Amino acid sequence: MSDKKKTTSGGESGAGLLPKLKLEVERKDYLSRETMAGVAGQSDLPLNSVYAVASFYAYLPVSPVGKNVIKVCNCLPCEMKDVPAVVDGISREIGIGPGQTTTDGKFTLELVSCIGACDQAPAMMINDKLYGDLTAGSIAGILKSY
Amino acid sequence: MGNVNIIIDGKKVRVREGSTILEAAEAGGITIPTFCNIKGLLPTGVCRVCVVEVQGSKTLVGSCHTPASEGMLVFTHTPRVVATRKVIVELMLTGHTGDCVNDPNAENCKLHNLASDYEVGAPRFNVKTPRFYPAEESNPYVRRDLSKCILCRKCVKACQDLARKNVLSIGYRGFRSKVVSGFDEELTAEACRDCLICIEHCPTGALGKPVKV
Repeated sequence: MSDKKKTTSGGESGAGLLPKLKLEVERKDYLSRETMAGVAGQSDLPLNSVYAVASFYAYLPVSPVGKNVIKVCNCLPCEMKDVPAVVDGISREIGIGPGQTTTDGKFTLELVSCIGACDQAPAMMINDKLYGDLTAGSIAGILKSY
Repeated sequence: MGNVNIIIDGKKVRVREGSTILEAAEAGGITIPTFCNIKGLLPTGVCRVCVVEVQGSKTLVGSCHTPASEGMLVFTHTPRVVATRKVIVELMLTGHTGDCVNDPNAENCKLHNLASDYEVGAPRFNVKTPRFYPAEESNPYVRRDLSKCILCRKCVKACQDLARKNVLSIGYRGFRSKVVSGFDEELTAEACRDCLICIEHCPTGALGKPVKV
């Protein structure tokens, strides 16, 4: 296969892309088209390449998010420990479903891939804080503290 | 660099070391169906349609990305291979929604042709949220109907490695994966080079020339 055309993966100019994107998220909460175009220009990459990387990761939002981002894990161990009940509990408490933001901008709810707390399933994160062993009953208390 | 001798479907084939099983099959006049392979470029290996049986291997292997090795025994159309290809096509049909019957770009859809060759009927799988994207018709050169896209990545590779323009990428993940341009927006006339190379390579009706109303 050594005589084949090499695929230009853009690997060289993609170096350091994740830290750059993470920094922008810390500065501006989410990656707007303008912000992303800036990073793309700096990295000598087309906008679509940067969007592709950012949209893959739950921690690099590509649309506006609320002040507090709730990330509920929906992978298998959490699913088996009744994560749908947790999501329903959150919906009842703050009135939004997965992928939505409350009208006052206080919360955004997202379903994400494994957050590495399988021993405390079902689990969620609100911003950088982990909440494990959730029950439909404990949700209200946690959310009220924000 | 030496040669290797392999036996495909009982036929002896000799190829340069480093060749893939797919290349060896072609050299031996044996056709293995593919969706994601572009000749001359590095294999992608995502569609899984080219899988074959190799003696000694517990699982089927993708012929497009598996190198031929000396003395290998390959079988391209055993009942196991055929049954597997049928399910692969069935799975692709499940995510391939949209009005193919009335779509002029769908006449040469390789997915439908392979489904017909392998006698694959309507998929049996129920999908909670059918995968649907409205057709994108604003670009003067390319009409994109992503409901028909099977995510073979040929348009991405063709644009990147053949046209050398790189305006398409795969965004999101899992079932939500999508071929995106720009900030996941309709393909602009500025971004696109109007080379039509993506249309040329698309195996389904997802990419086509704009339809004159």
